[in-house]
Amino acid sequence: MFRPAFFAITLLGFAGFCHAASPLPKGLVRIVATSQEPNYLQPWSGGTVSGASGSGFVIEGNRILTNAHVVSNSRFLTVSKEGDPAKYLARVLHVAHDCDLALLTVDDPKFFKGTTALPFGGIPAIESTVSVYGYPIGGDRLSVTRGVVSRIDFQPYSHSGVDAHLTIQIDAAINPGNSGGPVLQDGKVVGVAFQGFSGDVAQNVGYMIPTPVVARFLEDVKDGSYDKYMDIAVSYHALNNPAMRKALGIPDNDLGVFVGEVYAGGASDGFLKAGDVILSIDGLPVSSDGTVPLDDDQVEMAEVVERKFKGDSVAFDVVREGKPLSVKVPLDRAWPFAMQANAYDKKPRYLIYGGLVFQPLEANFINEHNPDDLRLRYHYDHFISQALHLKKPEIVVLSNVLADPVNAYAGEFTYGIVETVNEISIKSLDDLAKAIDSGGDYVVIEFSGPGRPLVLKREAAEAATPQILSRYGIQKDRNLVP
Amino acid sequence: MKKILLLCLLTLSCSLTASQAAAAKPPAPTENQASAKGVVRVNSTNQSYDYTRPWDKKNPFPRRGAGAILENGLVLVTAELVANHNHLEIEKPLTADKSTAEVVAVDYDANLALVKPVKADFLKGLGSFQLAEGARVGDSAEILQIENNGEIARTPATLTTIAVAPYPLDSLSLLVFKLSSPLQSRDSSFVLPAIREGKLLGLLMRYDARTQTADLVPSPVIRRFLERAEKTPYIGFSRLGLSFSSTRDPQLRSYLGLAQPGGIYLTEVIPESPAGLADLRRGDIILEVDGQAVDQDGLYEDPDFGKILFTHLLTSREPNAGPLSIKYLRDGKTQDVEVTPKPIDPTKSVSESHTFDKPPRYFILGGLIFQELSRTFLREWGANWTKTAPQRLVYLDAFQSELPKDRGKIVFLSGTLPSPDTIGYEGLNNLVITRVNGIEIKSLDDVAKAAQSPENGFHKIEFEEDPKLLFLDANQIEANKENLARDYGIPALQRL
Repeated sequence: MFRPAFFAITLLGFAGFCHAASPLPKGLVRIVATSQEPNYLQPWSGGTVSGASGSGFVIEGNRILTNAHVVSNSRFLTVSKEGDPAKYLARVLHVAHDCDLALLTVDDPKFFKGTTALPFGGIPAIESTVSVYGYPIGGDRLSVTRGVVSRIDFQPYSHSGVDAHLTIQIDAAINPGNSGGPVLQDGKVVGVAFQGFSGDVAQNVGYMIPTPVVARFLEDVKDGSYDKYMDIAVSYHALNNPAMRKALGIPDNDLGVFVGEVYAGGASDGFLKAGDVILSIDGLPVSSDGTVPLDDDQVEMAEVVERKFKGDSVAFDVVREGKPLSVKVPLDRAWPFAMQANAYDKKPRYLIYGGLVFQPLEANFINEHNPDDLRLRYHYDHFISQALHLKKPEIVVLSNVLADPVNAYAGEFTYGIVETVNEISIKSLDDLAKAIDSGGDYVVIEFSGPGRPLVLKREAAEAATPQILSRYGIQKDRNLVP
Repeated sequence: MKKILLLCLLTLSCSLTASQAAAAKPPAPTENQASAKGVVRVNSTNQSYDYTRPWDKKNPFPRRGAGAILENGLVLVTAELVANHNHLEIEKPLTADKSTAEVVAVDYDANLALVKPVKADFLKGLGSFQLAEGARVGDSAEILQIENNGEIARTPATLTTIAVAPYPLDSLSLLVFKLSSPLQSRDSSFVLPAIREGKLLGLLMRYDARTQTADLVPSPVIRRFLERAEKTPYIGFSRLGLSFSSTRDPQLRSYLGLAQPGGIYLTEVIPESPAGLADLRRGDIILEVDGQAVDQDGLYEDPDFGKILFTHLLTSREPNAGPLSIKYLRDGKTQDVEVTPKPIDPTKSVSESHTFDKPPRYFILGGLIFQELSRTFLREWGANWTKTAPQRLVYLDAFQSELPKDRGKIVFLSGTLPSPDTIGYEGLNNLVITRVNGIEIKSLDDVAKAAQSPENGFHKIEFEEDPKLLFLDANQIEANKENLARDYGIPALQRL
């Protein structure tokens, strides 16, 4: 099967300084970030430090808009602008990892002097010409490339790995370093360049974040914090099988989609049901391919939900078991798949006891450990679809055994899922910490599935822990802070 | 091109010299050569079913091995050689006389099969093997191979290890003799008899050319197989239905209060198994089996073979032996229980681990293909199937013992044939079926039965996962079914 191979277009490594004197437009920014990637194989270590550069642009309110992935895990940020050799210290105001956008500011008032906030436009027409501005590989100074709008569609955003939003595909060259740079048409920003397609599988495919996504981000942070995208957490399917339409009591009129999975614990749980036929969303008729008329175009039905905020609701007209019904789904929670999204700007959580390293199961853990263990991979892949998260909000894994006489027989338990500790059920890393700290001569750990318990003598384990920590160069035995 | 030519020439000249040598020096009948007269070539044409199109078979391929004629006039080979055979023949090495053959008994867990020529008296005048008695590490043996010219090649071998180990299918652990031997590849087969002092020590089932080690199905296992093969229907090797873990860890021993040495920790007891029926439970510590002390790794001191796994005490018993005693520790108390080990009926498992010689069951309803989950189906994804096969199905197969007791078979939609009835369903596959027309599905027969009673003219199919449900028009699929079978070349829309 063909699998899309997206890459984030941050330019890795520091490039030399630049002095440019381009007259137009006056709000382009080059961002140089020093970041520290957390290490989920050694969760206690600070992580390796690396540098990267990207692009950005000034918007109203003395703010700089760029991609989240340009400033993720950053420890030190500088920005420079065209025609000014100075480097200014910048800081992150807001970051939205689910739509790969970030807002920065510079405290030095000199920086914004002479810059012009770039105004925003709408969705450019298919085949109309756009220009991409930024600081990609191939030189130090500002680069401009030009192309046409190729396609407007929903696409996965590779930064988080689980989100998909409206995306505009253009055929202008977008290369590493372009990330966060503006895409202009008639002097207005119509998108933010953010990802491309690997040259091995496609040519001249670049993606930009369109203005509805940007506008939603700017609106969301107006109250001082970013609440994330809300999600109805259902799967819906085209309704074009004639027998299916007839059996569900739907006329042969190319309208309506049917609801498959309603994810337990999601916003629609208790409101929509598998087999419901959605005929309209917020009054807009839903075609049998799942699109609705919006902004003079047919767009994916999800776009209606995409533009909403926490606390809003969505109105559906559905047919359930042959009867019409109006359903209002309150949007009070984000996509429940947070555990499967790449995490940034967080320190890995862990707990070490008697040389046993425990970590919660999450995307970064899976990406770095890449475990073969079938039970563990299953719990990750099916965390939502089999509603495993209802039983255990957090899956705690014995991720490593730091060899020591006290844990000489614990190796066989690596990648085991902790079920109980001293008969206390473990549903989060905090539960584990409490259970371990709550006394008893032995710490008896039972894992999921058949097997023997892992037993540590408390006295021996606690005597060994400081030595193990010092031997392995670990400063703290735990980080429980989310 | 040149290289290939050269190779061909070499092979030709080799076989010429070999046959010349054979012609020049007829073999003198010594005692050793007489024993080699019990070796015949067994040629098998194997053809397995294609589980991705369960009505079809895959390409046939030939296999050959060297079989050992036994005193009962039957030929012993490995089960692997005859798995999914559709033609079998026995060939005399020197004369190349052939007879069609048939399988008399086969045990895939023990990797043994008995084969009989269809022609009466075909094996007359050939020799036969007695089974070797006992074995000691260090014994010298010979591995017999058939040369191109029909002569028997003998390669010396030394018995290096005696252990109880998993057999190739990984479904059963039995006694294995490991031999060290510099064996060459002949006849592209490593199904070969190994003899000691003219008697059959075992049958080669695996050979690792890098380490030059050969694994034998040894004579004690062959003897028990032959006893079983005398009865119909064939009943396989007995088991207890439990798994265990070592108690080496001193902290575990201290926590469990294990004062005495030895003992193994029961990690899983399959309900309804002999161990389950005897009320053995997870967490029990087995101390003795059949009066033999079991050490912390599950080994006991066998009078013939030294320290080996205690399961040999069950598998080495006569087929109809009665109960044996198990001494175990629970809640600090030592208790005894009588357990009668029994063979497990593989067809009763949720997902069968192997399905040789059996056509897969399937049921096609309006282009939707329903099958029952088996490991054979998952193996269609190749050597790396645990990672590449549909993960939900892999998980159900791997952890079937943790499913509810009355789960029955896992029926799933293995694929969808695009047709006028399945518009919009084209990509659906590998989805577990929960209900059809409101009837709970625990076997393919349930699907066939439910398909008799559509509701309001529609078949309602419900899945465990997304998209949860779909409908088919009952009258329309009935009207279209001959077209479907014809268009896709399906001889029958069901095999139950």
